[in-house]
Amino acid sequence: MAITLKDLLETGVERLSLELMWGEGYLDREIEEKALNRPGLALTGFFQYFAQRRLQVFGLAEFTYLKSLSSEERAARLREMFEKNIPGVIISRNRNPLPEIRALAEEYKTPLFRTTMITSHFINECTLILEELTAPRARIQGTMLEIMGIGVLLQGQAGIGKSETALSLIGRGYSLVADDVTEMVRAGGRVMAFAHELTRYHIEIRGVGIVHVPSLYGVSAIRRDAMLDIVINLHPYKNDAEEERTGIQPGNIEVLGIKFPYYALPVSPGRDMANIVEATALNYKLKLLGHDAAKELDEKVIGTFLRKVGK
Amino acid sequence: MAEERNIAREFEVLNKYGIHARPAALLVKAAGKFECDIFIGRKGDEVSAKSIMGLLTIEGHQGARLIVRAVGIDAEAALLEISALFENKFFEE
Repeated sequence: MAITLKDLLETGVERLSLELMWGEGYLDREIEEKALNRPGLALTGFFQYFAQRRLQVFGLAEFTYLKSLSSEERAARLREMFEKNIPGVIISRNRNPLPEIRALAEEYKTPLFRTTMITSHFINECTLILEELTAPRARIQGTMLEIMGIGVLLQGQAGIGKSETALSLIGRGYSLVADDVTEMVRAGGRVMAFAHELTRYHIEIRGVGIVHVPSLYGVSAIRRDAMLDIVINLHPYKNDAEEERTGIQPGNIEVLGIKFPYYALPVSPGRDMANIVEATALNYKLKLLGHDAAKELDEKVIGTFLRKVGK
Repeated sequence: MAEERNIAREFEVLNKYGIHARPAALLVKAAGKFECDIFIGRKGDEVSAKSIMGLLTIEGHQGARLIVRAVGIDAEAALLEISALFENKFFEE
């Protein structure tokens, strides 16, 4: 996903105490490479390898070095850097930009930022923000719950009872993340799920209407976000449906390029879906703890048989 | 109306690991497609072929001889399908 300097500034004002010093009209520029560069080496005159597509961060080292140069050298090296069409310059530790930097920024239409943070902290935090802003994301049909630390996405056709099942699970003390539509974003090797800001913490129950979950069940009934662990699909019971009977090899489904265990649960009158979803999540948690009940029973059965036939 | 049938056939378990969880699931899925009641076991000790947990208790190790009995209008078709599973060693070694 492409992001602009403006996107970074909007997020960065608060989290990076970022301030724009010059370049209001040039913030539509895209950040092509989501990493930062400290241009120390370039300032010594080495431009054979220069990360010119990255934002350039000037810290104490850069400033101290620039000050050790004669004013002609300083101006020449800085000009050579700005000539490379760098996307922007960030000055850390709340220092005032050198007059040369300010003038060159204006001349080359390069936005100039300043932060109060020290350079290393700024680089860590800013890299995280760039990752977040560019992470793959999607809006997925399904109700997201958190059951004893396991993030569960409930899917299934309209009217199958996703929200009703969610309500039941909330009644059992688990938490709602999003009803019916869940926002997903890649975070490293995992996927984080959360609700759209507008509808967050609301749930729609047929025949009742929209209810506000924390008002009815208290704040422990909700969570702002949760990491996705398993996907459960509720489907109408059909006798010939291919469903899992042993649980030894559950299927999987891809969400934002990552595979998650996938369980298709048949719904029929009298089946308490909340109970079954809870059992699915807890059984998954047990597997995470290294205890795979289905597999262990199978091994026990096979072991008994092999002993019987003397093998 | 079709005639209610009660037929039985004996099978030998051929695969190395016997009727463990995976073959049991295959049997249950096959049996579940039919209307008739299907039982597997030995004389006087049989379980429903539509129950995974039941199938695991009949101790269908390699070499075991088990009787499959089907009762209902589609008993013959059911027995045919189940015999294919036994004959193909439940698609295992």
